[in-house]
Amino acid sequence: MSQNKMLAMILAGGRGSRLYDLTANIAKPAVPFGGKYRIVDFPLSNCANSGIDVVGVLTQYESVDLGSYAANAGTWGLDVRGSGVYVLPPREKANADLNVYRGTADAITQNIDFIDRFAPEYVLVLSGDHIYKMEYDKMLEYHIANKADATIAVRPVPWKEAPRFGIMNTDAELNIVEFEEKPKNPKSNLASMGIYIFTWKKLKELLIADSTDPASKHDFGMNLIPAYLSGGSKLVAYKFEGYWKDVGTVDSLWEANMDLLDPNSGLDLSEGDWRIYTEDVSEIPQYIGPEADVENAYITQGCRVEGKVHHSVLFTSSEVKKDATVIDTVLMPGAVVESGATVIRALIANDVVIGKGAVVGAADSDKIELIAKDVKGVE
Amino acid sequence: MASAFGIITTTANRLHVEGLEAHRPAASFSVLGRYRTVDFPVCNMTNSGIERIQVYVNQNPRSLTEHLAGRQYNVNSKTGKIQLLFSEKNTANSIYNTDIAAYSDNINIIKRMHQEYVIIAPGYIVYIQDYKALLDQHIASGAEVTLLYHPVNNADTRYIRQRALTMDESGQVTYMHYNNGGDPDKNIFLDTFVMKKETFLSLIQKAKDYSSSCTLARIVEREAQNGMKVLGVAHEGYFACFSDFNAYHHANLEMINPEVFTQLFKPEWPIYTMTTDSCPTKYFEGAVVRNSMISNACKIEGTVINSVIGRGCHIAKGAYVKDSVILAHVDVDENSVVENEVVDKWAHITANTVVKPAEGTIGYVERDDTI
Repeated sequence: MSQNKMLAMILAGGRGSRLYDLTANIAKPAVPFGGKYRIVDFPLSNCANSGIDVVGVLTQYESVDLGSYAANAGTWGLDVRGSGVYVLPPREKANADLNVYRGTADAITQNIDFIDRFAPEYVLVLSGDHIYKMEYDKMLEYHIANKADATIAVRPVPWKEAPRFGIMNTDAELNIVEFEEKPKNPKSNLASMGIYIFTWKKLKELLIADSTDPASKHDFGMNLIPAYLSGGSKLVAYKFEGYWKDVGTVDSLWEANMDLLDPNSGLDLSEGDWRIYTEDVSEIPQYIGPEADVENAYITQGCRVEGKVHHSVLFTSSEVKKDATVIDTVLMPGAVVESGATVIRALIANDVVIGKGAVVGAADSDKIELIAKDVKGVE
Repeated sequence: MASAFGIITTTANRLHVEGLEAHRPAASFSVLGRYRTVDFPVCNMTNSGIERIQVYVNQNPRSLTEHLAGRQYNVNSKTGKIQLLFSEKNTANSIYNTDIAAYSDNINIIKRMHQEYVIIAPGYIVYIQDYKALLDQHIASGAEVTLLYHPVNNADTRYIRQRALTMDESGQVTYMHYNNGGDPDKNIFLDTFVMKKETFLSLIQKAKDYSSSCTLARIVEREAQNGMKVLGVAHEGYFACFSDFNAYHHANLEMINPEVFTQLFKPEWPIYTMTTDSCPTKYFEGAVVRNSMISNACKIEGTVINSVIGRGCHIAKGAYVKDSVILAHVDVDENSVVENEVVDKWAHITANTVVKPAEGTIGYVERDDTI
């Protein structure tokens, strides 16, 4: 591919503390999703499918696993000449001390030198923890057609939920006139998706100004967007109607997995022309045993099912043994449900073993049970 | 084990699989819906530390070329190399199209290999073998040529047209003959040779001098009878040879068994294959699946029993698939029945159709066909 004029930066430094033990050792973007993927595969695949050649991945919390995963650029076809995935943890520089990323905007500021190497006209800033498919190239066309300084992707949310989001107040032409973080009395229901296209020259000016402001939190939503608005820049909202989900909690991560089973959810990973790419594993196809009962399930390679699996998502190499029952559940890679065990409305973390005859979760529980340690069987 | 290079051979028309082989060489046949036959010999070599591998192909190279062009194998991309070598002479259906002819066509490439030994393995047999251990055994035994075989007790009905070895008490090979049934106890030759490169080169020359239709196996047998030390070594574990169409169907169904597939797929001996970035498989409400291997990217709404389903297949509501090998991207529409069949890639079984061969036989649905 020829060199693109837009470079992407993925903010992937967050811990995701509301995922509890799932992010005890790995950053949130590296958390498994949808049977065989990781969350960060979504923005990376969207970049690849949108023709973006150079992607920076800004890491901070537990960055070893995520960093080595993302650096394998071939996974998304970004390992050819002129392309690359660059893992960018905070670093010490000749003219500055080693400093953690103080906020989302600061993460970009600390990598101005990196971005300038590619001399892009536009910079796409993404979050590494959202599940969605989006054509960023279409968004760029919109940005250019509107002669915007910044374009922010938004999606309409139900009015009663609007107070939970960062809301963009716009005029009839979708020009952003005001940004309100979690407004009590929202004037609009257009929620920011954390996806921004910036004209680089302008962004760089504002980032440099922001970096020396002692009052700033160095955050895109809190500081940069208001700076754009107060400076009279043109900010436009780009409406997105497709599936999008922030998987920042155990419940939302479970729900997004379950959305794969719902034909009306809008989340479909089977479309051949917009694939989500992920690390290739050598596991064999899924084995469904002679007494298995599998319905309404999303199952991937390496799985072995000899028991009952209803309305559940089974990740790579998870196992459901004979006479075990798994309902409304997510089994992460390598999780094993031993014979006679019952698991309902739960999210079982990587390599966890649910012992023989054990019972985990309940059909009427409000919350999804997260099981991150082995559960002893009933002998 | 940089002391050996590898050669992966074709069937050279000796074995023939009806239907399937019209579209690709046996090395490219689909195994368990996801793999290609050639993945097994290649990974046996790479897992044994062999990083220079020559894969021979004599017809329909497209599928194999595409497959081997991927980066799936654990071969260092600078120090290692997987080469695809063609038999230049266009004698696809001739008795002169032997393995020896293919080696002769590429003799300078073989001569230039730096490694002292060569491991020659078939691209059409599925088995797991540590070639490092086999080479060590070869060196320790003092044999000039080592042949790998598998003792079986059902050769009366299976492994037809495969070679079998006869050995004396010391393990010295005395005869090789084609299995045409009869005695059930035979030592089936896995078409796998270990020898020094120099021995290999001299055998190629001797075979050419002897007859233009002489094969490597034939010249090894002849030399063994003339006093060359040719020893057989028994293989352990599962093996499957796609020696004919029924064997292909039988072997695939036989592998739907944890006792069998765990012999082929071990964590310490990974079998890599080309990724297609397919999503997981979706089982719908009302799906019934029993004793089957299902690849990714399928949509299963109907019933699948004792079958292997390749990537990206759709088994519609009310459809019934039993005892069949369904290759990738096949659609079986509503209320259709498929039994005892091999259905080739991209075939489409339209609604309310029954595809079932005569009792006791296995049927074949052509690639891209609509029924």
